[in-house]
Amino acid sequence: MKQTEYLHDTYLSERWTQFCAGDKTAFSDLVDHNFNSLYHYGTRFSPDKDLIKDCIQDLFLEIWEKREKLDHIISIKPYLFQSLRNNLISRLKKQSRFSGLSANEEQFSNDSTAELKWIKDETDALNSSRLVNGIELLPKRQREALYLKYYEDLSHEEIASIMGLQRQAVANYLHYGILKLREYWKCKTILLTMIIDLMI
Amino acid sequence: MNNYKNFEVTDWVDDPGFRKWVYKGEQDSFWISILENTPSQAENIEQAKDILLMVRGEFDNIPEQELALRKSKLLDYISQEGQVRSWWRGRWFQVAAVLLLTLGFGGYYRKQFFPVPYNAVLSRSGSTAIIEIINNTEQVKLVTLPDGSSVILKKDARISYPDKFYADKREVVMLGEAFFEVQKNPDKPFYIYSGEMLTKVTGTSFSIKANATDKQVQLVVKTGVVEISRNKAGEETKTNHLTLNPNQLVTLNRESNEFKTQNVNEPVLINLPIESQYFTFKKSSLKDVFSTLELVYGVHINFDKIVTVKCNITARLGDEPILEKLEMICEVLNARFEMKNNTVSIYSDGCEK
Repeated sequence: MKQTEYLHDTYLSERWTQFCAGDKTAFSDLVDHNFNSLYHYGTRFSPDKDLIKDCIQDLFLEIWEKREKLDHIISIKPYLFQSLRNNLISRLKKQSRFSGLSANEEQFSNDSTAELKWIKDETDALNSSRLVNGIELLPKRQREALYLKYYEDLSHEEIASIMGLQRQAVANYLHYGILKLREYWKCKTILLTMIIDLMI
Repeated sequence: MNNYKNFEVTDWVDDPGFRKWVYKGEQDSFWISILENTPSQAENIEQAKDILLMVRGEFDNIPEQELALRKSKLLDYISQEGQVRSWWRGRWFQVAAVLLLTLGFGGYYRKQFFPVPYNAVLSRSGSTAIIEIINNTEQVKLVTLPDGSSVILKKDARISYPDKFYADKREVVMLGEAFFEVQKNPDKPFYIYSGEMLTKVTGTSFSIKANATDKQVQLVVKTGVVEISRNKAGEETKTNHLTLNPNQLVTLNRESNEFKTQNVNEPVLINLPIESQYFTFKKSSLKDVFSTLELVYGVHINFDKIVTVKCNITARLGDEPILEKLEMICEVLNARFEMKNNTVSIYSDGCEK
């Protein structure tokens, strides 16, 4: 398994080099391999699916335009994740500034203009439909760090660079995140087993 | 295995192999045996699994077709951008460009419709190579795809496909005039990109006319059901979605970008014999059956005319690809066949009666 993973990684970095040299099929490959995982990561920031997809598309065009300057990049995935994160957050900020409100993305869902209210309602509906998902109780950044570590299998260093944090901060987020989820799990075991039974 | 007996929830969560199982179902039998052999860990495993699933959240992938469209949009854009760049580079080139334009250089029209390379929309993975077949001959050319589907290319038509199809879909790109007999496989939809038109089928037969210089793309269905949509930047698939039945002809106007559907008496679009051939044989001699196949598919069939003189065929071979048809015939004849470079050899001991 390790061997094939290694081969996969070598293959991807080879394709990256070809992409930087202007190979369009390598670029197409890059899109194939990363679109869905970028999208899934993007859903952590906004429930607006089209916005996320558009951001990813822009990201790919952006890296195509500056491909010649990108051949020094070794960790491709963290690079793409970080770029998408920056683009998405600045896009969301612009959106909320546009509606004359605070530019703080953390307060984003507390806004009450029509569109944002709609988004909020949708998020609320989503939350209640999932009933109680413990992850919603964690601060956003803790959630994000857990996602990158466990779902995307990234290292502490890679997460730190994506999220613009110190390595130690990442370690703390992860440590307390898991701790809280475990506590939550213990409290809700009965309820959860009921939900799981229902789902199966 | 002893190792797992002392695992804490955090150890499970931290185990990359375990995570791969939870998220991707990898090495299922291994992890199930661990579960069975360490019952004391059942609760820990369950907790770890739940935590990992909470971390992932709802799993929401972009539909394959939308992804394909977004990708072709991107590739479209970058090939246009490349063109613009080279046109602007250097003063002499600008002069040359102006000259060419005044001389009525028509290539631009074509390029707009078909981004170069036209087959860039094909997904690629490490193990696959893209095969391109162009029919430069005057005759029709039969192409057998990796899944057994038959494509008959007319003069100047071309098709590109991976040497191995993906596990979940079959994708080809074509230009020009061609007839398709798609191997039935509902689990692996078959997509054809032809200019602005994206066609999706599971197993049917139909003709496509997508010439680079025509102002329209056309398709007529011979058998089965065909779904089409626009393969065009800035548009959503679901809103431009059409389902076609046999003897329906659709025309996509490239300028207005509109579909027009009409019913036709015969599904004839590109004047190939196969469009009006339903392969229904009643006590037909083998010689007749094979000469029909030779004519329609443009193949050559070698068989022993003397040994098989008493053989006759009663069958409806329908819209199956040529390999399926040959298999059906050989089943009846108790024979076997080989096909190499569009030459078929039939090995039969004859039919005694």
